[in-house]
Amino acid sequence: MPMATSEYTTAALATNKEGWVRLQSTDGFSYLVKRKVAQASGTIRNMLDPEGGYAEALNGVCEIQERGIIVEKLVEYMSFKTYYESINTKDEIPLNEFLERIPPEIILELYVSRLDVL
Amino acid sequence: MAAAPRRGRPRIHGPEFSPESTWAELSRNIREIQNHKASTLSFEENHRYAYNMVLYKQGDMLYRGVKRLVMENLESLAKEEIIPAFPTGTTDPIMQNTEEEVLLKALRKVWDDHKSNMVRLGQILKYMDRVHTKSAQVPTTNEMGLELFLSHIMKNPIKEHIVTAILNQIRHERDGNVINRSAVKECVDVFQSLQYENTPTATIYKRDLEPPLLEASRAFYQKEGQELATTCTTPEFLILVEARFEAEQSRTHHYLSSQTSHPLLQILKDTLLDPHIENVIAKESGLDSMIDNNKTSDLSRLFRLCQKIGKGLKCLESSLKKSIVRRGQEINAASTGDEFGEPDAEGKETEQSTKGKGKARPPKASGIEPAINWVQEVLNLKDKFDVVWKTCFESNRAIESAYNDAFGTFVNQNEKCSEFISLFIDDHLKRGLKGKSDVEVDVILDKTITIFRFISEKDVFERYYKGHLAKRLLQGKSISDDAERGMLAKFKVEQGIQFTQKMEGMFNDMKISADMTKEYLEHVAKTTAPEIELNVTVMTSNAWPMTHSASKCLLPPKMSEACQSFQHFYLGRHQGRRLTWQFSLGNADVIARFKSKTHELNVSTFALVILLLFEDLGDGDTLGYSEIKQNTEIDEPELKRHLQSLACAKYKILKKHPPGRDINPNDTFSFNIDFSCPMKKIKIGTISSKVESNEERKETIDRVEDERKYQMEACIVRIMKGRKKMTHNDLVHEVTQQLTSKFMPEPLAIKKRIEGLIERDYLQRCDDRKSYEYLLCSFLSKALDISRSLISSPCKVRKELTFCLCLPNLGIPVKPAHMLLSTDIVSLVEN
Repeated sequence: MPMATSEYTTAALATNKEGWVRLQSTDGFSYLVKRKVAQASGTIRNMLDPEGGYAEALNGVCEIQERGIIVEKLVEYMSFKTYYESINTKDEIPLNEFLERIPPEIILELYVSRLDVL
Repeated sequence: MAAAPRRGRPRIHGPEFSPESTWAELSRNIREIQNHKASTLSFEENHRYAYNMVLYKQGDMLYRGVKRLVMENLESLAKEEIIPAFPTGTTDPIMQNTEEEVLLKALRKVWDDHKSNMVRLGQILKYMDRVHTKSAQVPTTNEMGLELFLSHIMKNPIKEHIVTAILNQIRHERDGNVINRSAVKECVDVFQSLQYENTPTATIYKRDLEPPLLEASRAFYQKEGQELATTCTTPEFLILVEARFEAEQSRTHHYLSSQTSHPLLQILKDTLLDPHIENVIAKESGLDSMIDNNKTSDLSRLFRLCQKIGKGLKCLESSLKKSIVRRGQEINAASTGDEFGEPDAEGKETEQSTKGKGKARPPKASGIEPAINWVQEVLNLKDKFDVVWKTCFESNRAIESAYNDAFGTFVNQNEKCSEFISLFIDDHLKRGLKGKSDVEVDVILDKTITIFRFISEKDVFERYYKGHLAKRLLQGKSISDDAERGMLAKFKVEQGIQFTQKMEGMFNDMKISADMTKEYLEHVAKTTAPEIELNVTVMTSNAWPMTHSASKCLLPPKMSEACQSFQHFYLGRHQGRRLTWQFSLGNADVIARFKSKTHELNVSTFALVILLLFEDLGDGDTLGYSEIKQNTEIDEPELKRHLQSLACAKYKILKKHPPGRDINPNDTFSFNIDFSCPMKKIKIGTISSKVESNEERKETIDRVEDERKYQMEACIVRIMKGRKKMTHNDLVHEVTQQLTSKFMPEPLAIKKRIEGLIERDYLQRCDDRKSYEYLLCSFLSKALDISRSLISSPCKVRKELTFCLCLPNLGIPVKPAHMLLSTDIVSLVEN
């Protein structure tokens, strides 16, 4: 670990220990998710990277510029993805079931946010 | 809470995006990052700025802006951190060392700073890297960072100072000072992680640091090599050089690149070892003294270093060879020196007599001492070098063959090597078991075989060995049959069955003779037993190396009766054989009554014949030399020898008038009735094996030469029979090859044999004057011719001949040569 970042890493390690991070939506909802699940998103992974040492990495709090309902779906997707990545199943991944659970009225918004966040 | 979430910001999807204000925000934040204040910034916010700029087609502006900011930062870092650390030009080495360390650390600090900045920028500019840089075909943020570092920091004069500093640091360490290795390593790592032309192997390290480094090393070690070679002793030199090798290896391992290891070590080989190794080995304190003083660790070191360079081993080999040959020649000189000493002494004694060879003197153990000493010395030398070979030279094959070469060279330089080795074995088989266990003797004989391997003229050895073996067998001196057979087995392994065939024949004869004697004794017990109990050894004439002309001797009637009786018995069982008595090889037990008491004497057959002349004489009566000669008809030299052993040696059975050591024709002899001796059984005058005199040697060599002639002829005929036609050179080559295991035939000698064969119509010259042709028919007629002459002379060629004769089956009855036997008397016992 390079010297320049060592002052941040202690703090980052502290949050790391808990293994949980908080995702906050613009309308005040917040979701506690496992760090591993949150890192399913590349952007959030960068955000939480202790080497970068940004505020998010220190606090373990990430603001997502979306409404709560969108963040909730994103979290659900990330959990879904992490789960099926980790188990080595030969069965078909029930992607359709997941898609059916998305309410039609937020589909467009979710699509755009996917581009932004994931 | 650092970056408080800002609510009510402009919607990103809205139209109110302004690139200028976004960039103003972002650039401010980037500067904050460069000031190590990233923890106060929100990742999400900055990521969003960059994201939006790319989204709104402002990627180019973003990219150029970031680049400018990075550039500015680098330049200010250089100004603040590196330039002040430039060397002040001090000459004090300690100050220099510190300054260099500071400079290297400064560079590393800038690098670390820059790198972590670039990581952070890379994170927030990820979207730009993903979308903009690809389409704009510019390097990604990270690559841009490396390029900028290369062009703004790794440039002269900074680079020059850094390289010099690294080289100086290495130099300090080579001079024995302590440096901060990690500072150098960190700097070298920077060099290694920077690439140019985007190829992973083209690092700045390879381009800018390694070449000057190698050059400096070469200069340093060239000087060092010369210094060490002139001022140090060889062991010191080896220690220092090896330490250098280790140091450089650890250097490349610890703070240079592993790629440098090979060229750097090559430089060490080229400068320290290659030019000096020969001198170092040849030095007074070099190889020889190390071997003399058993410096095994130094020798192992020498070997390790020699292995590193191509010519090292060769150099070591040739030096070892020289050393061995020199030592061997010393041994040779010592042994011949001994011999010269002795014949001189003998010469003085024999001067007084007419021509005695000094052989009639009682057998002295010292006669074979030079031989034993020589073999023992050679064995010691071999042991010494073998130990060195095993412990220090890792049992290297090339060195082993150099050893063999060297030993072969000096062993064969001693003309008497074959005789000496045979005598050595003889000595061990005769009395070696005294004081030494079977196992020990076996070990010694095994070692002797290793020397035997070095002999190039194996046929000479065979002749000597057969002679010695025959004496051992006939005189019953060999301690154990097992040991003898073991020795033969060893020879068989070494030289093949042909080598030992004759010797095994000798063993066979001994066994058959024992049975035969038993049968004979049973036979005579039933019929008319002669007065003398007779033990006879029947020897196949071609297996035994004895002369085949019967030695003349007039036997007294009692003895000849016994002989007749056996001859009658033997020929009755085996028809068509001829027995020739070899009295000279026999011995007899006789009971003699003296004044004081009766003694049992063991004497040779000849001596017995002489003694029997005195049987009927009165106590004081004498016999003259000429009378004895007349009555026994023994050859003069033999007679003298036996008279000497009876009258002049330790046990004086006869009295000589006048007394003296040597026998003159005018001497007279009488039975020494006053003889007394504490022992009941006395052994008198046996011929002991000892080193041959020069005349005997010449005789042996002549005989060997004769035998070689036959072998060469046989070989030529055998080859020609197969090939029918052959050129001269091929033939000579082939003959040489086939005979090498026995001896080294001279091409000239082969040519002579070929000419001889042409004269006798075995071969004929072809018209081209270069080749020969094999003449079958005329050969056959001639073969019968020479078979007659060969059959009566003992030589190996006979086997070849039998083979030749049998092949063209033309109905000519040819009796196999080995059917012809001559039989020799060995033991006579008088009760």
